[in-house]
Amino acid sequence: MESLAKQQIIEDLLPQKFGKAGKIWVGILLAFCALGFVAYCLQLKNGLVVTAMRDYVSWGIYISNFVFFVAISLVGSLITAVLRLTQAKWSTPLTRIAEIIAVSAITFASIIIVVDMGRPDRFYNLFLHGRLQSPIVWDVIVITTYFFVSILLLYFPLLPDMAIMMKHKDVTGMPWLNKMYTFLGSFWKNTAGQIHISEKAINILSITIIPVAFAIHTVTSWLFATTYRPGWDSTNFGAYFISGAFLVGAGAVVVAMYVFRRSYKLENYIKDEHFDKMGKVLVLLALLYLYFNVNEFLVPAFKMKKSEEEHLMGLFTGEFAIVFWFAISTAMLIPILILITKKGRKPFPAFIAGILVVIGSWFKRYLIVTPTLLHPFLPMTDVPEVYKHYFPTWQEWSIALGSLAGALLIITIFARIFPIIPIQETITEIEEHEQA
Amino acid sequence: MNKHSKIFFTAILSQLLAIAAFAQAEKTDLSLSISYFNSNNHVQYLVAHAKSKIDGKFQMIPNINLSFYIATEDAANLLGKAVTNDKGDALLFIPPTAKDEWKKSAKVSFIIVSQKTKDFDEAKGNVEITKAKIQIDTAADRKITATLMELKDTVWTPVKAIDVKIAVKRLDADLNVAETPTYATDSLGVASADFKRDSLPGDSKGNLTLIAKVEDNDVYGNLSAEKIVPWGKSIKYYTEFDKRTLFARRGKSPLWLELLAYSIVVAVWGVLIYLFGQIKKLKQLGVN
Repeated sequence: MESLAKQQIIEDLLPQKFGKAGKIWVGILLAFCALGFVAYCLQLKNGLVVTAMRDYVSWGIYISNFVFFVAISLVGSLITAVLRLTQAKWSTPLTRIAEIIAVSAITFASIIIVVDMGRPDRFYNLFLHGRLQSPIVWDVIVITTYFFVSILLLYFPLLPDMAIMMKHKDVTGMPWLNKMYTFLGSFWKNTAGQIHISEKAINILSITIIPVAFAIHTVTSWLFATTYRPGWDSTNFGAYFISGAFLVGAGAVVVAMYVFRRSYKLENYIKDEHFDKMGKVLVLLALLYLYFNVNEFLVPAFKMKKSEEEHLMGLFTGEFAIVFWFAISTAMLIPILILITKKGRKPFPAFIAGILVVIGSWFKRYLIVTPTLLHPFLPMTDVPEVYKHYFPTWQEWSIALGSLAGALLIITIFARIFPIIPIQETITEIEEHEQA
Repeated sequence: MNKHSKIFFTAILSQLLAIAAFAQAEKTDLSLSISYFNSNNHVQYLVAHAKSKIDGKFQMIPNINLSFYIATEDAANLLGKAVTNDKGDALLFIPPTAKDEWKKSAKVSFIIVSQKTKDFDEAKGNVEITKAKIQIDTAADRKITATLMELKDTVWTPVKAIDVKIAVKRLDADLNVAETPTYATDSLGVASADFKRDSLPGDSKGNLTLIAKVEDNDVYGNLSAEKIVPWGKSIKYYTEFDKRTLFARRGKSPLWLELLAYSIVVAVWGVLIYLFGQIKKLKQLGVN
């Protein structure tokens, strides 16, 4: 990196117009979003009856998606805050990727929770008449807070880059983009005073975001753990959720690293060593999450209380066994096996491992939410047969996929508008390195 | 109709008659009884009981329609109708319209009649009571007296040698005032008991309800009278309802939770507001 001139860095890292593949990708995402929107309009018109959710399974893939989004958003605190505070300079090219993943995920976590409401027009009642004792209210507070912390953590490091982009208006090629850069960062002059304030603000945010991030996912876990049900009645849930969240977030960053590196030809910035280091982080997090899973399932299985037996056996050998073992394998076991070797931490195998982690983690969230609801303490009696099973309807799938596409669209559009790797920070680091 | 047809139809008819006769024989007897209640000498009501012997055991019969009469089973003397509940009981308050019939004699009879159902034939039950009243009073040293009088012609006369239960009324049952649950009336119709329940929890003012009862008496039915006395221990009942708890309604959350939650929110949002202020400061520095 030492050999790269400043001008070359700027040219490399400035946002680039979508190529053919980029346009197709955006088109696909827009199509999924549109399908999700249509399905949601139908749900609004006809009510939640269009879903497969009934008396027992009242939380289906919407809430699974919500937990998934909240989990993945935690990566902002891991990469940006934890690695920044521990002076891990190698993480610099990854910070913005992590932060935009966090912002897009937390945005769609907020949206999907409204989608799960039968009467979204009554959402304001949560603010007017919410009970402070309810974890749902804590979740609303902490999600809102985390959203703003993430936005600020994205914005402050972006200011120096905004000034660079204004200097290269011709590259962007869109007047409205230049106007937006001017609006957001024209005041940035890169003075010592501004740099001092900005660095101080970033440090404060890096410290603030860690407890807020822990709170957001702990509170999400308490939505379940404060409810007395088989599978949720656990004191392990906070740590279990947070370890899983860091894992899926890190997995998502590895996937994004690979895609951006390939798409924008960023091999000089997102290097093999980044995949190597993130691969090691992933192995550590997967082992940690595996440890919590062992605790979460082995201990209740050892006791095998009658009330929990049906739920546990449903996961181990019953109707959810395929999904359960698929999730355990893809989210933890296979990625560990891939990434444990140096060869496995090369970009492509790491990318595959990251994809497996993300997919497995989504199904893991589904397994946390739904099977428990199908195994209440009291047996289901006098209900139609469909109440005893749950398989999402096309509307639910469309909305869930639409929300996932929406989150990816935010990341894609962001990468089109802003540098996905911090330009100024990269230049500063090189200059500091050269001076040293 | 040929000969074979005649034989066939005769056989069918005889079978049907046999089934009908068997079905009729299947009907079991319904036993009806009736109890008279006089509470505090002004609320009078009747409770009818319907039972039947099924599989060798008496069982209470629900959903039996009963008509209640006073004196005779005439439409003019109909007191009302009621249906037995799951316990086989049906309750009917004696209406004011029965006043004239009630006043005719010192002895009154009540009759109940059940309607015929597919399981039971019509049944009847009756009871005759002698009008009586019971009074409860208290004297010094926490002495309780209950006086039982019966109506003889037009004169209230003391009744002797009748067991009267003198107790304290509790939530689900009666509690003896002393070791003995019942006390016999003397020649003046008076039964006396000493109250020996110290520090018995009462209401917020320490009030207890004393009760004197004649129960299931063949002549007088069920009589009871109550009196409130301040002999108990004053109890302030503590309830969690509407207090600040984790399970209370909105606005009633525990103070520690409010303090904790709002402190966290204020601290974090204080930091965020400070940082928004820093953006403004950055703008000012840029302009200067």
